[in-house]
Amino acid sequence: MGQKLEIDKKSQSVIKAGWIWKLAYKDARKNFGRLFLFISSVIIGIAALVAIDSFNRNLQNDINDQSKELLGADLEIDSRRTIFDSTFMVSLDSLDVEISSDARFASMVYFPKNSGTRLIQARAIEGGFPYYGTIEMVEGSDIASFRNGKAVLIDESLAIQYDIQVKDSLKLGKGTFQISGVVTAFPGTTSINADIQPTVYLPYERLEETGLIQYGSRVNYHKYLKVRDGELEEVKEFLDPLLEEYNYRMDDVEERKEDFGRGFGNLYKFFNLLSFVALILGCIGVASSVYIYVREKKYAAAVLRCMGASGWQIFFVFFIQILTIGIIGSILGVIHGILIQYVLPIVVSDFIPVDVAPQISWISAFKGLGLGLIISTLFSVLPLTNIRFIAPLIILRETVEKTGRKSKFKYFIFALIVFFPWIFSVNQTDSFANGSMFFGSLVLVFALLWLVAKGLIWVVQRFFPSRSSFIWRQSLSNLFRPNNQTVILVIVIGLGAFLLSTLALIQNSLLGQVEFAGKGERSNTVLFDIQPYQKDEVLQLTKDFELPVQQFVPIVTTRIKAVRDSTVAQIQEDTTSSIRSWALTREYRVTYRDSLIESEKILEGVFQSEAVDDSIFISVSDNLKEGLNLQLNDEIIWNVQGVEVKTYVGSFREVDWQRVQTNFMVVFPEGVLENAPQFFVLITRIDDKNVSARFQQELVRNFPNVSAIDLTLILETVDQVFDKIGFVIRFMALFSVLTGLFVLSGAVINSKYARLKENVLLRTLGALQKQLLQMTIIEYSYLGLFAGFTGSMLALIASWALSIFFFEILFFPDFISLAVIWISVTFLTVFVGWINTKSILNKSPLEVLRKEV
Amino acid sequence: MSSILSINTLSKTFQTGDRSITVLQDITFDIAENTSISIVGPSGSGKTTLLGLCAGLDQPTSGSIKMLDIELGELNEDERAYIRNQHVGFVFQNFQLLPTLTALENVMIPLEIRGSKNIAYKAEELLDRVGLADRKDHYPSQLSGGEQQRVAIARAFISDPKILFADEPTGNLDEETAEIITDILFSINKELGTTLVLVTHNLQLAEHTGRILKLKGGKIVEDKAISV
Repeated sequence: MGQKLEIDKKSQSVIKAGWIWKLAYKDARKNFGRLFLFISSVIIGIAALVAIDSFNRNLQNDINDQSKELLGADLEIDSRRTIFDSTFMVSLDSLDVEISSDARFASMVYFPKNSGTRLIQARAIEGGFPYYGTIEMVEGSDIASFRNGKAVLIDESLAIQYDIQVKDSLKLGKGTFQISGVVTAFPGTTSINADIQPTVYLPYERLEETGLIQYGSRVNYHKYLKVRDGELEEVKEFLDPLLEEYNYRMDDVEERKEDFGRGFGNLYKFFNLLSFVALILGCIGVASSVYIYVREKKYAAAVLRCMGASGWQIFFVFFIQILTIGIIGSILGVIHGILIQYVLPIVVSDFIPVDVAPQISWISAFKGLGLGLIISTLFSVLPLTNIRFIAPLIILRETVEKTGRKSKFKYFIFALIVFFPWIFSVNQTDSFANGSMFFGSLVLVFALLWLVAKGLIWVVQRFFPSRSSFIWRQSLSNLFRPNNQTVILVIVIGLGAFLLSTLALIQNSLLGQVEFAGKGERSNTVLFDIQPYQKDEVLQLTKDFELPVQQFVPIVTTRIKAVRDSTVAQIQEDTTSSIRSWALTREYRVTYRDSLIESEKILEGVFQSEAVDDSIFISVSDNLKEGLNLQLNDEIIWNVQGVEVKTYVGSFREVDWQRVQTNFMVVFPEGVLENAPQFFVLITRIDDKNVSARFQQELVRNFPNVSAIDLTLILETVDQVFDKIGFVIRFMALFSVLTGLFVLSGAVINSKYARLKENVLLRTLGALQKQLLQMTIIEYSYLGLFAGFTGSMLALIASWALSIFFFEILFFPDFISLAVIWISVTFLTVFVGWINTKSILNKSPLEVLRKEV
Repeated sequence: MSSILSINTLSKTFQTGDRSITVLQDITFDIAENTSISIVGPSGSGKTTLLGLCAGLDQPTSGSIKMLDIELGELNEDERAYIRNQHVGFVFQNFQLLPTLTALENVMIPLEIRGSKNIAYKAEELLDRVGLADRKDHYPSQLSGGEQQRVAIARAFISDPKILFADEPTGNLDEETAEIITDILFSINKELGTTLVLVTHNLQLAEHTGRILKLKGGKIVEDKAISV
């Protein structure tokens, strides 16, 4: 029997062993260059994450803080385009609350100062509204004159466009008003709203002077309530049954906040996707750099093992380095993220109705710091675990039998690695299903890239061109020789290409949603609210200006009374009914004609051009079919201004709602609604700006109630607005792209060390610079092309799924972006590989070996 | 004289695919304390494998290795590492210095791992002993092959090992430098009374030791004492 070994536990300690810390520092001094890309991935990834997260949080906080300003009151009641019922008003007045009213409608305004005309939103206000927030105005404005009914206010965009100052006047309908103020911000509205359709605010008592409120005019009536603290729920409970009875809609601050959130939903979602991508890229960056770093360190580890260091001690030497750099990277990332966050509110201020104060969000900062540490730790521990089991024998001979040792710790870390992105994606998307989908797709992509890499190795080995030139043979065999980097580089490059392409495609689809028509021969001017008695004169005026009448459409307002033998009230009471409330209670604007128009296509049934006897077959759009859960021949009874009209569903139509023209959910045949109260809409195209201005001036003088919308102006404004949103999307996406590029470059640069000895040896044996460069280009081209192509193709599938299921938008595949990314990724891979080899070739083989090995 | 290393019916077989290759077969010998021994033989005879096993860098397929009366086969990798740190020194053919540490830091490493304090002085003394006092702050890449091997020798002796394993210590050096290294190695070894196990195919170098063990085809074919 041998002697029993007694180990001095102190010498095996990891924490107490000072040499571990010292060696970690000493070793890192010379390795800082190699770890630079690792730290860069952490910095950029965390910076993007913190900037996005801080901005989202600050926005949410500011919305909460300024939420009452989003509405300007505690409650808003919308009468849904009818005048408030007098009985309802009696009930409302019985409440001990402050009440204000407004009426909003579109109209043309005329500025006598310079004969300018423009479609605006008129907003007649009565009472102390807004109760929360202040009406911000330019210097010299006077709110008192507005409040006591003497003057009107106008939006700043209107004042700038027509060079209007305080004390100038304007004509609205038949009334002429003095302007006492220029509004820069009104609670609850954004400057985007003001740009697209600027508002003229007038005292309610002077509304009649305009003479614009006529039959068929689209007027929105609202009541605003200011409730005493603590009484809001009580007031809501009192109002709920009344609102149901009169079919009015109530909005409170919470709902407005939700609406606002929904309005920016896709932007939030995109930002969350960016965070996810930035984080995953950071993880890949960390894992790949540490993997390659550890491989380089195996001889140092084996030497330490020979000197008597334990596996854990060696592990901690390198872990301390990685962790320290991870901490530094995370702190720098957080600082950069905070700095970027100061820029964001300036960029987005125009289309957000609250002031986003650029403050440090400590939650985001700590979240960034925490995530940075988790990424640095988790994704470095797995490759580092291998170093614990380095056989010291490799010092004596290169090939050592594998011990086949299974480490429980390694499995534990692996489980955490799987779990972490999953939890993060669920947290980011606020949905278990979506988060799991994100994560699942990523795992699938990872697996497919692994398969492609293995497939590539197999194909090259199986069909190896044995008779080709030395350069081809050498570069291709690099793909499968021992110590090859095919799998790791294909996965890293492929994932990078996948994430970048997915972002580009999603960005394109999001931007695609905001593309507007209005080019070529399409209509660009719409005249609204033409009364029947004005019909011929307006047509004549249009002809006098030699303008084409592209559409002249009658519009009748109506409501649904019954669907399939059940009245609206019965359906509402029926809790099992699948009919949607919006479809049942809305005010419908329908038309009648004898044929389909360009933007329509029959999906089912037959379009009836003229009513025969009592059988009136209407045509219904596909979205209304869904809303009312309709089948062909279903009966619908309409209340047309008090007259019941029984109809049957004759056909279902697909309608292209994006077209600039009048589109309808319901089209009646001719011979039914001709005598119903109605108004007309005329659509034309005016190419010359001067003609457009003269036509609009003539129109507003002769027919003050008729509104002309110059879509050119709106389209330009909308384009500008979406350019800004696009800028924000691109600006934020840039961080993920940068992270991706750093990660890719890092992986390829690190691969230099694997090829170093071989290249130096070949150089020593007389290989020409040209030959070595050619070999590098061929090897890296293969890797870049295969990985990039696989990544791009997978991105096409992923972005389609994301568009449809996550963003719920149309998918616009952009093959040009895809090809550009594919080529760029390949080029970057080859370029960095070329730079690597070049740096070796410019020095003597001995110099390189001494410096680098 | 008692044995510091006792090898008994040692065998080592490697598995390569379906084939198994027996590199060492039924090796038995003892090494007494404060002696020196050379293991010689042609390439592929199993010299390096034997050295790796004796030093506890690898596990045998069968047989036993006792170092200081401790059965190495019963120890796990960390326990063997502990034994190496306490009692074993190494000099390798390729020097195997840590490229990111200076000469002085490389020499200090075994004692740092042991947890010893105030070791810089001893390391400097050893560097002075091998003639590199003025190169202590140089990195391995700034030293010649001979200088690197001198640093490695200083590192091997700093922990006062009971047994020193040297694998072709002059194999990568020119004749003149090899002579210098041989002189340094043997003189320090003599001074400190360390047991030296030398693996080489250079018979001239082997003759510096007191005993030569000749291997061929994985078996000991000759075990002869040398009168120095």
